[in-house]
Amino acid sequence: MAKRQPISDGERLTLIGHLARWITWQRFIFAVTLAFFLTSILFPFYWMASSSFKTYAEIGGRKPVYVPGALRLDAYRELFNYWRFGRNVINSVRVAVPTSLIAVILSTLGAYAVARLQFRGKEVMLNGILIVYLFPGILLIIPLFAMLARVGSTLGFEVQDNLPVLILTYLAQTLPVALYMLANYFRTIPAEIEQAALIDGCTRLGVIWRVTLPLAVPALVSVAIYTFMIAWNEFLYALVFLNDRQMFTMPIQINTIFNDPSPRPHVVMAASTIMTLPVVILFLALERFLEEGLSAGGVKG
Amino acid sequence: MSVSRGDPSSLLPQRWHSLEAREARLAWALVLPTALIVFGLVLFPAIFSVWISFRNVGLNNLNDVFNAPFVGLENYRRVFNDFAFKWQGFRNWGAAVTSIVYSFSSTALTLVIGLIAALLLNRPFRGRGLARAVFLFPYVAPIVSVAFVWRWILDPRPSGVLNDILMRLGVIDLPKAYLATRGLALLLVIVFEAWRYFPFAMLMLLARLQAVDTTLYEAAEVDGASTWQKFRYVTLPELRYVLGATFLLRLIWTFNKFDDIFLLTGGGFGTNVLPVLTYQFSFKSYDFGKGAATAMILLVMLVVFLVIYVSVVMRNAEA
Repeated sequence: MAKRQPISDGERLTLIGHLARWITWQRFIFAVTLAFFLTSILFPFYWMASSSFKTYAEIGGRKPVYVPGALRLDAYRELFNYWRFGRNVINSVRVAVPTSLIAVILSTLGAYAVARLQFRGKEVMLNGILIVYLFPGILLIIPLFAMLARVGSTLGFEVQDNLPVLILTYLAQTLPVALYMLANYFRTIPAEIEQAALIDGCTRLGVIWRVTLPLAVPALVSVAIYTFMIAWNEFLYALVFLNDRQMFTMPIQINTIFNDPSPRPHVVMAASTIMTLPVVILFLALERFLEEGLSAGGVKG
Repeated sequence: MSVSRGDPSSLLPQRWHSLEAREARLAWALVLPTALIVFGLVLFPAIFSVWISFRNVGLNNLNDVFNAPFVGLENYRRVFNDFAFKWQGFRNWGAAVTSIVYSFSSTALTLVIGLIAALLLNRPFRGRGLARAVFLFPYVAPIVSVAFVWRWILDPRPSGVLNDILMRLGVIDLPKAYLATRGLALLLVIVFEAWRYFPFAMLMLLARLQAVDTTLYEAAEVDGASTWQKFRYVTLPELRYVLGATFLLRLIWTFNKFDDIFLLTGGGFGTNVLPVLTYQFSFKSYDFGKGAATAMILLVMLVVFLVIYVSVVMRNAEA
């Protein structure tokens, strides 16, 4: 190894010369565009998180504060003490987790039938489900509301502020996609493996449980996360079906805080940060599983 | 399965016991829960919605909706004559025209930005995996969070961050009320849509880009094609189908979209679109018949787009 020597002027020049040769117009445009994309994507998220750590004085000043003076938890304290956001988090979990679990179970069964078994009416059903997927949610909410109000008064349950009713409507929204994604995945598992198990005396349900499901774990995970995310983020149905603050899911409570007569953006941003964080973390951790599902329409809309 | 004589099930036709028939019954049993939920909570309500649009349904008779009085086309007539719906000149577009302008322009912008992003990420560079994940953030983050961050960034006071930046740069002299100015509000809602949904277009296009046969580019290079020519004559034709399909899908979803505009502007300042109008008729004035009629008009417009699209664009693409 050569002895370390101070860099001579000549070498410095070649360094710059090297850089100059490396930078072509193409590379320059590429770098600028990439930087533009990254800033415009990340700035809103930075602004959300940083605003949540500002004090009321920093939020209400004449000039925006770009970097909060300290990581102050004023907004979070107000959020949980005054707005009782804890129960909204719990409500969201109570809606999103069952939606996700039930959707995975039901769509696994349905998707298996669609992918592996022959039955009359399969095409009609598949097309029907696909059309359903393109239906505007706003068109369905009026009849659903009227219908469930009627059914509810007959069977004696309240439609408003009833989380299981909300779960049911989310299932109707998520099952078509879940079924599609899983059926596509099941088709990629060679049928020969299952036939071998059938010949060895397994029943169909045994085959699903012992052979197909273990092979489909990645797809099951991604469907679970998508349905969780849809239920976690859903706004319109929750807005119509929930009236009581006790029952609000996070999106509705955030909307309420935002529309409070005295504006408190730092609290809104704190709540938004809490709501966004799990989704982004889940996504970053499992990106590989999830990307394919995204382009398959995992997040409708 | 063997069936003994005298077993009542042996009275059933032979086919009942065949392997095929058993499999079909199993299939139906497996599909049934999904089918019931989807058809009961989507298909039936959709048909029911047509019925409601011809009836007078308000809060008073919501519990007795099946006996609501028939009013013929009255609901539709009231929607068409509503000032929030109909075209009243360039100063006031009405929700029908706004919806069309809004969904077509945001879909087009989403696709253009998605294409640029896809081309960007198609090049290998250090940190590409991370950049790709970051690019998906706007699409996976909850709509309520991102809409409110945007509103907070676009805050009309001088302390609003965009106002501050633009005033420092000398672009504007006075703070602007971005989401409360006609024209500007619609423009920003369209920009928001592109910001939020370009990752979807990007993913679709990226998948196709990575499947393009590299020998095509090599051949073009041998022929002396410039970067632009390679893009124009190799990349774009390869992407045509995906671009068409993505455009259609995004157009439908954007046209149906309620949350974004409701959260950003509440439908004010020239941004009222049909889904938001439907909501206002139904859950603000509690006129469910009128709301259902608006939703049906929305659906009919959607179907018209689809038919035109499939018959014109798809046919050209095949030729």
